[in-house]
Amino acid sequence: MAAREASTDPRGGYWRSLEELAGRPEFSRHLAAEFPDAADVRQDGLSRRRFLQLMSASLALAGLAGCRWPEEKIVPFAHRPEGYVPGETRQFATSLEIAGVAAGLLVTSYDGRPIKVEGNPEHPCSLGAADVFAQASILELYDPDRSQTVVQRSGHQVLNQDWEAFAVFAKQHFAELEPQKGQGLAVLVEATTSPSVARLREELLARMPQTRWYEYEAVSTDSEREGTVMAFSEPHRVRLDLSGARAIVAFDVDLLRGHPTALHNARQLARSRHPDAEQMSRLYAFESGYSLTGVMADHRFPTPTCQVPIVAACLAAELFLNQDLALPPNTGYVAHLLRPFLDHPLRPAATAAVARDLLASRGASLLAAGPTQPPFAHALCFLMNAALENVGRTVHLRADPELRPYHHRAMGNLVYRMSRGQVTTLLILGGNPAYDAPGNLPGGVSFAEALGKVGTSIHLSLYRNETSRACTWHLPRAHALEAWSDLRNPDGSLAAAQPLIEPLYGGRTPAELLSLLLEQPARTAHDLVRRAFHQETGGRGEVPADDPDFEARWQAFLRAGWLAGSAAPEVPARFRSPLVGPNLTKGLQEAQELGRVRLDRNNLELVFAPDGKLFDGRFANNAWLQELPDFLTKLTWDNAALLGPATAAALGVGQGDVVRLQWEGRQAELPVYVLPGQAAWSVTVLLGYGRTAAGRVGDGVGVDVNGLRHGLKFWGGPGLRLTRSGRRHNLACTQDHHAIDTLGADERRQRIGPLVREADLAEYREHPDFAVHLGPHHPPLVSLWQERRSEGHRWGMAIDLNSCIGCNACVVACQAENNIPVVGKKQVGKGREMQWLRLDRYFRGEPENPRVAHQPVACVQCENAPCEQVCPVAATVHSEEGLNVMVYNRCVGTRYCSNNCPYKVRRFNFFNYQKHLTETQKMAYNPEVTVRSRGVMEKCTYCVQRIQKAKIRAKNERRILGDGEIVPACAQTCPTQAIVFGDLNDPASRVAGLQAEQRAYRMLAELNVKPRTAYLARVRNPNPELATAAGEDAGGDADHH
Amino acid sequence: MSSVAVVEIDNTIDDPTRPTPLVLGGNDFTSVTEKISGIAEKPRPPRAWYVAFGVASFLTAVLFAMLAYLILTGVGVWGVNIPVGWGWAIVNFVFWVGIGHAGTLISAILFLLRQKWRTSINRFAEAMTIFAVICAGIFPAVHVGRIWVVHWLFPLPNYQTVWPNFRSPLLWDVFAVGTYMLVSLMFWYTGMIPDLATLRDRATSRLRAIIYGFFALGWRASHRHWHRYEKAYLLLAGLATPLVLSVHSVVSFDFATSQLPGWHTTIFPPYFVAGAIFSGFAMVGTLLVPARRWFGLKDIVTLYHLENMNKIILATGSMVGYAYVTEFFMAWYSGNPDEAFTFYNRALGPYAWAYWIMVTCNVVVPQFFWSKKLRTNTAVMMIIYVLVNVGMWFERFVITVTSLSRDFLPSSWDYYKPTLVDGLTFAGSFGLFFTLFLLFIRYLPMVAMAEVKTVMPAAVIEGEHRPVGDYHGDIPQTHDLHPVMHDHPEHRGDHL
Repeated sequence: MAAREASTDPRGGYWRSLEELAGRPEFSRHLAAEFPDAADVRQDGLSRRRFLQLMSASLALAGLAGCRWPEEKIVPFAHRPEGYVPGETRQFATSLEIAGVAAGLLVTSYDGRPIKVEGNPEHPCSLGAADVFAQASILELYDPDRSQTVVQRSGHQVLNQDWEAFAVFAKQHFAELEPQKGQGLAVLVEATTSPSVARLREELLARMPQTRWYEYEAVSTDSEREGTVMAFSEPHRVRLDLSGARAIVAFDVDLLRGHPTALHNARQLARSRHPDAEQMSRLYAFESGYSLTGVMADHRFPTPTCQVPIVAACLAAELFLNQDLALPPNTGYVAHLLRPFLDHPLRPAATAAVARDLLASRGASLLAAGPTQPPFAHALCFLMNAALENVGRTVHLRADPELRPYHHRAMGNLVYRMSRGQVTTLLILGGNPAYDAPGNLPGGVSFAEALGKVGTSIHLSLYRNETSRACTWHLPRAHALEAWSDLRNPDGSLAAAQPLIEPLYGGRTPAELLSLLLEQPARTAHDLVRRAFHQETGGRGEVPADDPDFEARWQAFLRAGWLAGSAAPEVPARFRSPLVGPNLTKGLQEAQELGRVRLDRNNLELVFAPDGKLFDGRFANNAWLQELPDFLTKLTWDNAALLGPATAAALGVGQGDVVRLQWEGRQAELPVYVLPGQAAWSVTVLLGYGRTAAGRVGDGVGVDVNGLRHGLKFWGGPGLRLTRSGRRHNLACTQDHHAIDTLGADERRQRIGPLVREADLAEYREHPDFAVHLGPHHPPLVSLWQERRSEGHRWGMAIDLNSCIGCNACVVACQAENNIPVVGKKQVGKGREMQWLRLDRYFRGEPENPRVAHQPVACVQCENAPCEQVCPVAATVHSEEGLNVMVYNRCVGTRYCSNNCPYKVRRFNFFNYQKHLTETQKMAYNPEVTVRSRGVMEKCTYCVQRIQKAKIRAKNERRILGDGEIVPACAQTCPTQAIVFGDLNDPASRVAGLQAEQRAYRMLAELNVKPRTAYLARVRNPNPELATAAGEDAGGDADHH
Repeated sequence: MSSVAVVEIDNTIDDPTRPTPLVLGGNDFTSVTEKISGIAEKPRPPRAWYVAFGVASFLTAVLFAMLAYLILTGVGVWGVNIPVGWGWAIVNFVFWVGIGHAGTLISAILFLLRQKWRTSINRFAEAMTIFAVICAGIFPAVHVGRIWVVHWLFPLPNYQTVWPNFRSPLLWDVFAVGTYMLVSLMFWYTGMIPDLATLRDRATSRLRAIIYGFFALGWRASHRHWHRYEKAYLLLAGLATPLVLSVHSVVSFDFATSQLPGWHTTIFPPYFVAGAIFSGFAMVGTLLVPARRWFGLKDIVTLYHLENMNKIILATGSMVGYAYVTEFFMAWYSGNPDEAFTFYNRALGPYAWAYWIMVTCNVVVPQFFWSKKLRTNTAVMMIIYVLVNVGMWFERFVITVTSLSRDFLPSSWDYYKPTLVDGLTFAGSFGLFFTLFLLFIRYLPMVAMAEVKTVMPAAVIEGEHRPVGDYHGDIPQTHDLHPVMHDHPEHRGDHL
């Protein structure tokens, strides 16, 4: 990972740190105390004038701040800082931590304000991609609802305070705690991997050993950690390598979303599934609700979550007992434990075939279990992976020395102590336990109730949320994009997070707060991170002053965003029988018990799942995410209880019926969404909704189901009763807005085949040009006039449906890049969503276990564009390079173009959607893209601003534009690189190559519109043994050959 | 003074031995003038007029309030969405333009075809045309997203030298409807000049004399005036005739030239024109039946007139029905699955209710007119007229909305629901229409007096069985033959 000079980087240079620019390392000391006066900014946002004042104030105080650019002042720069071109965007490498998982990012900054978040291509876990959360964090940064002041509450009195007042209070309060060795002090943190926080924690525990330190995440992956402890008797980090996997079995795990290395997995999985590869991978998924992995699976078996461990045990029994796979050393006792699963009633018929496939791919297979699975299911997977020689190949284990209680136990424990009055001071760093702690904890006290018994509670948080409101002190937290921080990647390597902007509202980081409490004088985050880096890289004590060697390493670290070679060492799988035996025995006995539970209409299964948009609720105030259609239900601004069609029919409920869920003595009322493919008798509910103190966007959206959660049955379980409430609720979906009639459903089934073309691998090998033949037969397409010829560039796009996992990252990328407005639930319900890029989702085959097809659809830039011909004012015209260009200024808004667009990719501003944005929110806008007014049509332009920028740069540098230099936002962030853009006139370009592939087809080409975007047909790789046995194609879908 | 012996006769009975009397009740030239001018001259109109005017002008106010709300807020106040980018606004536009067809058809085409019975109803129908086109014209103007730049649809010279896109049917609409409006207005006005002069001459107040005198353009009923007038009228009729066919053909191109299944079809121009005449006649009838009753015009607008109109409604309604069948046939015969689906979807999909309202009202209901008893019964015809109006509105709704709501990609399918604003705007357009109409019948001669007189027996020259007045192409040699000048005492002054 070589450091590189920003000026020579064609992409404009990754980052510049403060020192590099200003050469004034001492400046960073001013970071924390720089804006005490920002605290009084009104809740409804920072005005632009105020923002600029703050910016110039920072300059006046200390010269150049952070890695942000100096603002233009009325007096021009007499000496422009070296390398700084006003108006030119620059990119900085940083990281973002969500629930203890780091994402490597590259943030684009425009004159000192970050405007776009993308993945860092050199980061080992992101590979240039970014998920929806990371991308939407830019909107969170500028959210005017973010907490802006220190708030002290005593009784019903709420006072606006400042950090000085808190510091005075804290000094005195913690000085009182110190003599008692921290008796009564508890610290609750959200999952964090930050080494600087870890160091401060050690110091805290050293000084006050009675302090209790807890970590909690509502969406916790701790069961895997527990599984590693069960198998290897100490916690391990597990990292998967899907690139070499030929047979993959997923037990209720989403490898492609929500997984710590999801982006990396997605890239590798897409590679392994290339149909032209020597051996295409095969994916099996056992899951209750759909995951991206299930959507991608060649064989998906809808299985209630509580029965998935039994399936894992059956598969293990098949492998070890029937197919004579040797058990790893020290685990011989497992054989007799597995015996009951040889003929278990819930044993799937496909077990033997899957086992044979796994054996045939020995060393190149992979089994993984998800967070909802009990630890023994994880342990069983490790056992099978080890026996199949996968460990070290597809599964990498790394020691994770950190010892801490598991999240769900930590919360139960803490609340118990709080309710007993054993906690007098509670310090909460981040998180929102008053909202997302399970409502049903042992002892019957909820977190919110227990919090009332804590004398002093201090909450550091980005928002003044439910928890903040119940605490005696609320402290504003610095956003990840405005603060220094350090963290660890999933493989244990060190990563950097550097600020892109001064804290807008005077927030501080958790490390800074701990330092404020523990150190004299308190250090800035920058200082803390440098010290932690120094110590992590083998140094001791303080950062040496004026050490050029250290500075060089530090610069390189920031430049790359992470530290190569700092990953935790890999360890082999060593099963320790004395410890593992009893645990596994207990686990398998549990599985036996579970297997006896009969699910039926009076005993349903409840499964909690993190939302793909709001996660655990922390993104509830993020309008991009609220309005992002769910990858499968296409639901926006709501959560629902997901039921399979047969289950819904048996219970007599339909789409939008509000039902009462009763589980473990608690109840909640949710609308029903009938989702094909949901396992029978299993009901999935999504976390993250029903917030009451999220902000203007997120309050009152959906239903809070945390009250249903049980401290010990963390992810749900059987015993759910569902009754109708008799009420109905409007769900706003972006697809299938209304219940479809039989006629429409039949027609849709007819059309899916030609629209989303796919075939099985065997068919593809036999007829590589199957995609062309799946399209409708039509007479030769002739033109009435001389066709236009593009002499220069001829832009085009190829979208590989075989790689697309439907993760929505491209949709958010497009929204962020192109200043696409958010319209709200009511407007979505009316069919007025604005996203330029949408993911069409179709089901094929049996409603109980359909195959899902995803298809990203944006403007396909027809050469013979129907929209252009009908616009009366010539507001949509063709460019020389073949783009179908929209001239916003000229648009009158007849909407005729949209009517005539066969792809329906045009979006209309029915209202002035940008009207009520505050000045702060407007800072998130991309200055290179026009903000559209009311009454104007808009649509995808292949990111024409990026095209122009690259062309101008190439021209300035007097060179020919290279292939791949222009990357539209969607293609840039696609984790699987399914979207490729380029010049079709260049036969050597990637896009030309892809469009020439035999799998390539053009959707609706029979209309003679000549789309520039081509799709590459999807190829599935079903197990030949199962294809006939399971009757996959029952229901006779639309494929015709 | 020539007059014919008055007997109560049923002029709907076709007697080939003599021309069908077109004016009954023993009216002579004087009584016709008295009757028709009297309506516009009464010091105060009947109370019913006030009530009707109050309701209509209230609805007009609603219309303007809705338009103001729309323009201040955005097109989103309507139910339109993506994929259904055109909703009630375009439906209403096509509906009103269609209604506007009857007037010009009656005045121009029937004039050229020498259908004498047109004289009693043409003024009425032309007025209706003008008002319907005014109502129609509002919708395309306000349905755009940015009404403040709607003038960009016109080929106005500008410094950027940006011209409209001449390939767009919306632009053709601008020309077609604009021309139609202008020609219809001129035709209506030109035909009214002699009658305006009558009102001027009968005026009892200075103000009325000035206003009517201004619009009468100094008409003195001289031979030269008549000569020029007849020529101009003929020319305008010639000009208006192709417009009757062109305007709705062009409106249909809005749909036909697109590539949307259910829109992209060559049958649209004739089908739209037939439908327009159909709906236009129904609307004339809807207005005429009560008007002739309330204003005592049964002798001038006789059952015979109404029956003729009903025959046209029966004919055009059947044409429309035939077009519906042809559309289905072509959807099947073309072998285009998208097209076929669109039509199954119309008949059986989520909008089937609208489709079957349309078929019932437009195809089934007019069939009652095969029965002479029913087509000469004013109560029955009134019901049928209203139903045909409803049916024709639904036809436009079915065409516009069903095709858009389900086009090529099932992922984009959506259901369109109008809002309250849509409904009130439509109701308001009726308000505007009736307000204008009530003003018309209050202040202007609602029957073309001069023309009616030409078809009265009194206009027939002794010894000849041919009424004069219908002399286009063979202008009488002597002015003595001109009935109007002879028999109208109020015109005598003009000879001086």
